[in-house]
Amino acid sequence: MRVGSLAVAVPQARGADWAALARRAHWRRAAEQSALLAFLLAVAVPILLPYFWMVVISFTARSGGVSTSVLWTSCAVIVPAVIVYCVVHLASASARVRLAVAAALVVGAGALLAALVGHDLHLANYRFLWRANIIEEIRSKATAGGQFPSVWIAFRNSLVLALAQTVIILVVASLAGYYVSRFAFRGREAFLQALLVLHAFPAMTLIIPIFLILHWVGLLDTITGVMLVLATIELPFYVFVLKGFFDAVPWDIEMSAMTDGASRRQAFRFVVLPQVRVGLIAVAVFAFIRAWEEYIFVRTMLIENKNWVMSLYLFWVSDDIMGVDYGIVAAVSVFYVLPSLLLYVFCQRYLTQMTIGGIRG
Amino acid sequence: MADQRRRAAPSRRLHPHGGQRSGEAASVGGSDFARAQRTRRRANFALFLGPALVLLACFFVAPVIVDLVLAFTDMDRTLAVTTLTLENFERMFTRDTRLLASLGITAIFVLATLGIFNVTFALLLALTTTAVPRALGAFFRAVWLLPRMSPSVVYALLWLWVVDPNERGLLNQILVHVLGAAPLDLRNNHPLLVIILANGFIGASLGMIIFTSAIRSIPEHLFHAARADGAGSLAIVRHIVFPALRWPISYMTIHQTLSLLVSFEYILLITGGGPFYDTTVFSLYAYRRAFENGQYAYGAALSLILIVIGVIAALGLWRLMDMRRLLQAPRIEVH
Repeated sequence: MRVGSLAVAVPQARGADWAALARRAHWRRAAEQSALLAFLLAVAVPILLPYFWMVVISFTARSGGVSTSVLWTSCAVIVPAVIVYCVVHLASASARVRLAVAAALVVGAGALLAALVGHDLHLANYRFLWRANIIEEIRSKATAGGQFPSVWIAFRNSLVLALAQTVIILVVASLAGYYVSRFAFRGREAFLQALLVLHAFPAMTLIIPIFLILHWVGLLDTITGVMLVLATIELPFYVFVLKGFFDAVPWDIEMSAMTDGASRRQAFRFVVLPQVRVGLIAVAVFAFIRAWEEYIFVRTMLIENKNWVMSLYLFWVSDDIMGVDYGIVAAVSVFYVLPSLLLYVFCQRYLTQMTIGGIRG
Repeated sequence: MADQRRRAAPSRRLHPHGGQRSGEAASVGGSDFARAQRTRRRANFALFLGPALVLLACFFVAPVIVDLVLAFTDMDRTLAVTTLTLENFERMFTRDTRLLASLGITAIFVLATLGIFNVTFALLLALTTTAVPRALGAFFRAVWLLPRMSPSVVYALLWLWVVDPNERGLLNQILVHVLGAAPLDLRNNHPLLVIILANGFIGASLGMIIFTSAIRSIPEHLFHAARADGAGSLAIVRHIVFPALRWPISYMTIHQTLSLLVSFEYILLITGGGPFYDTTVFSLYAYRRAFENGQYAYGAALSLILIVIGVIAALGLWRLMDMRRLLQAPRIEVH
């Protein structure tokens, strides 16, 4: 407000055309913002287009052929809609206008898409979900007999692996994180420094000895073995993340709990843990996504097809029938990518709260 | 059970002045109390830190030792060790010409990916997404995180579809129909370019996140003050943003060099290290020697070099972290 009154007062004194200057600054700012947005849109295309292509293939490909017209038709509808929304977002500061425009664009583009490409969409590529032997059906039956497990076995294995690994990490890392955050013990600094080195240390280099150790203790080709390995190599990171969250809990509430007669362990379990709920959710989501997408370690340490997880299932499907049937490969990809993307989208606000040593990860 | 009973002993009191001292004070009062205190401290150590220590010892420390020993043996496909030998290192330093080629490929791959994407482009993304309205900036950052959050097999498949040499490949559709150019077969003719792009698209996002939070932590009034002094956008970037990014940039450079040096997941999935050995970087070379050719000992010897580099780089990263805050002493010491 004061700036405004100043702008009115000064031109009379100096005679400069302040209104014109303000207009020019306004236009310059608008041009700068549009240039930035144009750049961001342009570099986002190479990322989004392949994902969109995958979805399009999975819903439109018929055996042997992929039609590209659907892709370009829908791009011709969606790209202008996105640009219009960006312009509106820049031009209007009112949330209601933005929401209304967004809703109108979504409905309009959706209707247009349905009219233009609706008849090309079908679900036949997703038939792998209910027909167990689909891969053998597509290839000639003679070459393979029961090589591919049902997708649900791989799905269950992935789920077991990711969930169990997440539980291990949550339990072990929260215990350790709390201990290094709150307790004094001999060698605490050395332990933290060693943990920091392990955190930065690339575990991928240890894949050969880890493979041998699992072989020697008889855990090779078991979900349990991979689960323990995956939980361990990420453990230092999660200990530091949770230590950060525990550090942020004021120690007075623990003190008062113990003054009221709680033991240290009870204080941890009933008073401090609920305080770091956000941290626990963030760690859980992140750990789940990491285990869900893991490829190299499961590729090396799981062999039999009854132990396949989703990443191996998809890999072998694409390896086997990529040249024959794009549609199934794309449909399996969409099915596989969906859980981690949904988790990521809905839990993003938790994930952004993880910091470690002043550096967000 | 014994622990449980001791924990329930009447010595449940507060000693906010430090465990050691309270232990000493108690020993004057009675040695029973001191012993209970000590036992409980040990029990707590085992309960809270024990699981983590066991896991780390089994699958992090033990593998390093195993690798160290393995590098000096002759383990092959049979997984049996017959003699201790220096042959692996002799072969590595004198005879293995393919290793030399893979070192060259590694250097090109790491430098190009790091220089173009993981630092430079990450910086560009952080600067631009923080300069547009908040919601739009967050949206574009989410777009760039998409590859990192999607499973590596899916991401690799997308690349295979993009660079597919026939007319169905996404890149070739654009080349042929929009630009009227001849179709390309990038995967076979320029495989190094493909793996640099594929890794770079993922690598850019981590730097973007870290630089963004560094830019966000610059006090807002500095920007206003600079604007009031008549600074343009570029001058602000040069004199306010860059000085604040010095530490994050050096951290990211070391961190990403290390992670590019050891990661071969996308290379293995997209080109398989081929055609022939053209995209087999050092870490993938070690992996292929062990798991494709069954030369476990030689693979372990190659990995040993990476392990040494990893430890050195990890020690270097220490210096860049906020050690004082990380090692801050705890304030309650009651067990």
